[in-house]
Amino acid sequence: MKSNLILTIAMILVVTVSCGDNGTIQYQKEVISLDNITSGRPYSPAIKKANMLFVSGQVAVNPETGQMIEGGIEDQTIQVLNNMKAIIGKAGFEMEDVVKCTVLLTDISFYGSMNSIYSTYFPEDPPARKAFAVKDLPLGALVEIDAVAIK
Amino acid sequence: MKRVIQTLNAPAAVGPYSQAVEINGSLFIAGQIPINPESGKIEETSIKGQTRQVMKNIEAILAEAGYSFSDVVKSTCLLDDMSLFKEMNEVYAEYYPENQPARAAFAVKGLPLGALIEIETIAMK
Repeated sequence: MKSNLILTIAMILVVTVSCGDNGTIQYQKEVISLDNITSGRPYSPAIKKANMLFVSGQVAVNPETGQMIEGGIEDQTIQVLNNMKAIIGKAGFEMEDVVKCTVLLTDISFYGSMNSIYSTYFPEDPPARKAFAVKDLPLGALVEIDAVAIK
Repeated sequence: MKRVIQTLNAPAAVGPYSQAVEINGSLFIAGQIPINPESGKIEETSIKGQTRQVMKNIEAILAEAGYSFSDVVKSTCLLDDMSLFKEMNEVYAEYYPENQPARAAFAVKGLPLGALIEIETIAMK
């Protein structure tokens, strides 16, 4: 029984971790995807490597329809962070594990409204962040947010 | 221990930054613009040609550091105009056919040396 358990653990370690040429531990790159959020563009919703999770920039696409939602900056920010939360959950992480976000806005006048929604998703010990206005975002979005999480 | 990566197979930095920095199995590659390392100039005029040069520069830096495209976990694509998105994606996808990195992409007001595209890259072993 005990030896079976040890064998199982050893097999799991062999599958998930392999050693590099110089003996350093190498972790496999794991693609995190939600079946209903596929953009058809060449990126993964998130990549997990060891204890780190890199979440792609999310825009306000409704995962049911694959289309941008109707609505202003507040509605879009809610959709963006719901999408992010779903991806983070699928990877086995939580919003509390997010250490850094980048917030891209098409107009810096959206900053206050975006923040009022954003703060409800990160009510305490919010991640480090940078935010700025860009010239344009994919799909005509008003806001895009990416994240790095570590646990 | 922080290791600065330097190769002649990718363009020299155009400002006070390193081509890449590696530490503890993580590689942070500076945003690459489509400078041909042999001439030190941007020669390609199309978005497809510029994207291909950027990816070649990233490939050279990855190789110098002992990494490959399959180790890349995150890209950030900065475009001069959102209308370039589709053609950029077509070339980008040639270099990342599977297990594609997480990514953020957006259009900015201007890029160094008048480039149409800049791509920043993080790779992990």
